[in-house]
Amino acid sequence: MKILIAEDESDLAEVLSAMLTHAGYTVDAVENGSLAVEHCRNDAFDLIMLDVMMPVMDGITAVQEIRRLGVTTPVLFLTAKSEIEDRITGLDAGADDYLTKPFAMGELLARVRAMTRRHKEYSPRILTLHDVSLNMDKSELTCKNSISLAAKESRLMELFMNHPDVAFPTAELLDRFWHDEDADSEAVWMYISFLRNKLRSVGASLVLLGEQGGSFTLKQGSST
Amino acid sequence: MDSIYGSYEKTLQCIAIRLNDMINDYVNRYLDRTGDRLYEHLSWRIKSPESMADKCRRENLPLTPRSALRDVHDAIGIRIVCLFIDDIYRNINELRRLPGCRVIREKDYISEAKPNGYRSYHLILEVTDDVPDVDGHSPGRYYAEIQLRTIAMDTWAALEHELRYKKNLRHPELISDELRRCAAELAACDVSLQTIRELIRKEDAE
Repeated sequence: MKILIAEDESDLAEVLSAMLTHAGYTVDAVENGSLAVEHCRNDAFDLIMLDVMMPVMDGITAVQEIRRLGVTTPVLFLTAKSEIEDRITGLDAGADDYLTKPFAMGELLARVRAMTRRHKEYSPRILTLHDVSLNMDKSELTCKNSISLAAKESRLMELFMNHPDVAFPTAELLDRFWHDEDADSEAVWMYISFLRNKLRSVGASLVLLGEQGGSFTLKQGSST
Repeated sequence: MDSIYGSYEKTLQCIAIRLNDMINDYVNRYLDRTGDRLYEHLSWRIKSPESMADKCRRENLPLTPRSALRDVHDAIGIRIVCLFIDDIYRNINELRRLPGCRVIREKDYISEAKPNGYRSYHLILEVTDDVPDVDGHSPGRYYAEIQLRTIAMDTWAALEHELRYKKNLRHPELISDELRRCAAELAACDVSLQTIRELIRKEDAE
């Protein structure tokens, strides 16, 4: 697992690098926000650690730039200040967590573990429910055979499979998946119909229940 | 060497043509009734005597007309290629009712695709004909294999067939994975197009 550190205090940067390397991580260390952004442009990391106060470019500007690149890697702020205002600004700018200096190394390592774990474990790429599995990386639904899903079908199916037996009203689905589009309940109905027929075509025992314009629920039906 | 079909080659052709006509009969009746054509295209072939002999050898059968006409069931092959998945099942319903014919075996590779991704519906028809068969039954009993698929499934099968005989592929594993993925994507298109047709027809009916 690869971690990017941007920290201008060289002593602290060295200690952090040594600790994290010892814990089994691969570490890239830079001394300002601008270099951190540059690294994110050219490389992929599993966690980014940013000091707030840095020369050339501060951590808050850096996280904004990094998010603008489309990078969703978890960002941990290291801040000497304990003012609430700074924490709020940092989190709002796109950071996921912060740690106030001075901090205990044990706590830092625990936070690194927690944040990288969240990225991995909380978004499993293969969901399974009863006899059906959904591979999010391949956008493929599998039971007795496999069928591809369109991007929106995958995300809808992911929601339903993570919440079986929960009724999702058409309005909520529209808001979740067609948020920025000029779409109405017809679009939801069409995608529900696509998913229904795709579930049937792979021989799934799962069924999507509900009427056009109403709420939809994924349930286990009778196996065929 | 004489043909493995002996004196039956002409008979097989006549039966294939007769089946072809019977299928076109129900297709035309269906068209008159509903305005829908049940297939996009239809083709038939008699398995070449050489391929039939190869198949008998593979299955350890003697190279006789009896093997080719009784033990092997695909001397006559008919392929029905449809626009939509549902049309396949409509054809199957009609095939079950063909006079003088009986479905003796079927394999639904649409519900359960082959591991390589192949999708199609296969059924074996037993067809009676005035010409006595190789066992001396009169009327005679003959067999035909009917393959039903959509255009998308047919396209995939055509490419897979071409690649199957290519030796020395540099990345055979990668290619078969990608072929499987293409089969899944084409199946997705088939289901989406089917769904769109259903939605449009429901709208028309309202």
